[in-house]
Amino acid sequence: MADPVKHICPIGGGKGGSGKSFVTGGLGILLAKQGYRTLLIDIDFGAANLHTILGIPHPDKSISDFISKRVRTLEETVVPTTVPELYFISSAMNNLDITSLAHEQKMKLLRHISKLPYDYILLDLGAGTSFNTIDFLMISNSGILVTTPEPTSIENIYRLIRSVYIRKIRQVLNVSNYRALADEAERRNRRATINNPEVLLNIMKELDPEKGENLEKALQEFHFKLILNQLRKQDNPNTGVLICKIIERHLSLKMHFLGSISFDDRVHNSICKKIPFLDLYPYTQTALDLRECCKNMQSIIKEKKSIFSNYH
Amino acid sequence: MKPVREQNYYELLELSPDASPLEISRAYKKAFELYHDGSMASYSFFSAEERKEIVCCLEEAYLTLINPESRTEYDKKLIELGVLEKGQQYRDKVKEPISIYEFRKDHPVIRPQNNRMEDLRSRALQNPLIQEILARDILSGEDLKKIRTALGITLEKIAELTNIRVGILQAIEEDKFDLFLPMVYLKGFLKSYARCLQVDESIVINGYIKRFGIES
Repeated sequence: MADPVKHICPIGGGKGGSGKSFVTGGLGILLAKQGYRTLLIDIDFGAANLHTILGIPHPDKSISDFISKRVRTLEETVVPTTVPELYFISSAMNNLDITSLAHEQKMKLLRHISKLPYDYILLDLGAGTSFNTIDFLMISNSGILVTTPEPTSIENIYRLIRSVYIRKIRQVLNVSNYRALADEAERRNRRATINNPEVLLNIMKELDPEKGENLEKALQEFHFKLILNQLRKQDNPNTGVLICKIIERHLSLKMHFLGSISFDDRVHNSICKKIPFLDLYPYTQTALDLRECCKNMQSIIKEKKSIFSNYH
Repeated sequence: MKPVREQNYYELLELSPDASPLEISRAYKKAFELYHDGSMASYSFFSAEERKEIVCCLEEAYLTLINPESRTEYDKKLIELGVLEKGQQYRDKVKEPISIYEFRKDHPVIRPQNNRMEDLRSRALQNPLIQEILARDILSGEDLKKIRTALGITLEKIAELTNIRVGILQAIEEDKFDLFLPMVYLKGFLKSYARCLQVDESIVINGYIKRFGIES
């Protein structure tokens, strides 16, 4: 059953409360039940929740043990969960001062994560567009973004994607090139600032076709996935597809829509009871939607075996 | 993606150049859903000006393409610019109504027969016996039968082509005048009979009627 290829899948989203941890927990449980050795890592250092969703109110180890070097390897911070084959690294007991990691620490953590022996590693990222989130989102080219069909959440998704975009541009170009590009862009077009990376790319292609092409190629390696969470009956069920379309058309990034997850009041119950939703209400529409998303994710991963490629 | 202003109307609406008016209005509706002011999916993605520009362009594209005259003109412009190749543009193919049933008005047997009819006529003209009979002033049923057998046509065949019952045709050939019906019918039958054999109708009718008159 075990897949020789390891999949690292960061799960992020612009806004808090859009259900990143819920989706991470759900997908993790589904993958583990299929027999894959699955590890969930809570990287939301500031506001860790994943342990509660998984029904482990007091994990005895956490990722801060590794960061503050109390343990030698990351493997030692792994705790088992109630689901066989599902493992978990919490950040519940973090010291309050490590909400933001230094660059070195982050890179070390990434390196260690990539070496962990699991079939699937899902990273539950924090909300927002901090470097923390973006760097973790970029470690694999295929993160999952979670949004709700609300303007606030969608707004943040676009911001997040543009931040990743601009960070990639910065990564590909060296500092002086980047500076020159940004200046030139601003000279030509008042709007071509950091907020419009797509304009930046177009100007880049004009200035230096070769470099522009490299950059475009690097950007096209991204194939993010989108989950539309908390879809209520009165919402337009098409919203997820439309969001993907906007991103594909205007940012020329690949974006797969994994599916919508219906809103269910009982999610609240399951969280209050600290029992995973899939265990408590396995036959609800929401549970079915989660399974559908998981299925779609796996079929996309099967298509693209390229995982865990470039981070420096 | 090219900036909105630089895209041609087909690219803007994501249409192929031969899109039908129905496809154009659908594409416009779809694009509008994505870009209009209150659209949830593109919320905050564009600034107010960008959005206004996109919606303006979409509207312009739609209005140009949906009107056949302005569309032809626009296509011409694109062809001149080399963006579009000749023959790629939409042509209004008015479709013929398609019948629900396989219903053919012409009888399938008639058509191949035209050829055979010609053949029959030439055979009748070349046959001395038939010409000799037709040259007579009076024709009997027996004569008609001779012509028919000379041409190798059965009574059944004639009945099939003319819808006259075999019994009546037999009665004509056997001169059974008592069976006969009013003169109009007889003339009609003789006409059909003569046509089937591709011999001169008037000779047959006149000759036969003359004899009919004598007998009665």
